[in-house]
Amino acid sequence: MPSVNTKYFGTVDYCQESVFDFPFGLPAFEHETSFVLLESPEHAPLVFLQSLAEASLCFLAFPILVVDRAYQLGISKDDLAALDLETTHQPVLGTEVLVLALLSVHDGSSPTANLMAPVVINLRTRRALQAIRGDRLYSHVHPVAAPEGPC
Amino acid sequence: MLVLRRRAGEALLIGDEIEIELLAVSAHSAKIGIRAPKDTVVLRKELKVTQEQNVRAAQGPVPAEMARALEKLRLRTQEPAPHPDKPIEN
Repeated sequence: MPSVNTKYFGTVDYCQESVFDFPFGLPAFEHETSFVLLESPEHAPLVFLQSLAEASLCFLAFPILVVDRAYQLGISKDDLAALDLETTHQPVLGTEVLVLALLSVHDGSSPTANLMAPVVINLRTRRALQAIRGDRLYSHVHPVAAPEGPC
Repeated sequence: MLVLRRRAGEALLIGDEIEIELLAVSAHSAKIGIRAPKDTVVLRKELKVTQEQNVRAAQGPVPAEMARALEKLRLRTQEPAPHPDKPIEN
């Protein structure tokens, strides 16, 4: 079983079925084209999108319905075609595609999820990309936890 | 913000070197042509926002921050979503 150096978990064994191909990388990380999806029961439903090539690059993400259970996909035809999906309709969450919202946490502030540009993975081909919405229906900094109240 | 009204086929200039032409309009979108020097970066705004947000997402959190954040998230996500995505088993 191959193993990967990770940002948070040291060296981890992984199976090939957990590796996703990002032919275009992700915006700002265009050269990172191979990621492995790591989960740990302790952190569920959080998942870790770890670069295979760069140990220090690991995105934290939630399945998008965890952040917004009413989330409506809005993947462009170009992105659907690039993912080898039917362009006539949006794919089915959970069966055709896995859709992840990348999380940002910094300076102790509440975490936010990027619902404007979710990572979409074709579960059949394991091909993936970050599908940027052109509409303004969802925020790139959607809060995922209530701010801490005064003690 | 400067607001101009233009019809399809009309253009406007920004400085001496950048020309924006409105090529076609429909109910939901406008097709825009841009003439600019090669070293002028033209990006869809949402792509730029995504780049910046990805850099932020990749920066952190450090493990201690992550532990705190996870604790907060756990409070929020105790109720499972009705049809969550099924992550691939690792």
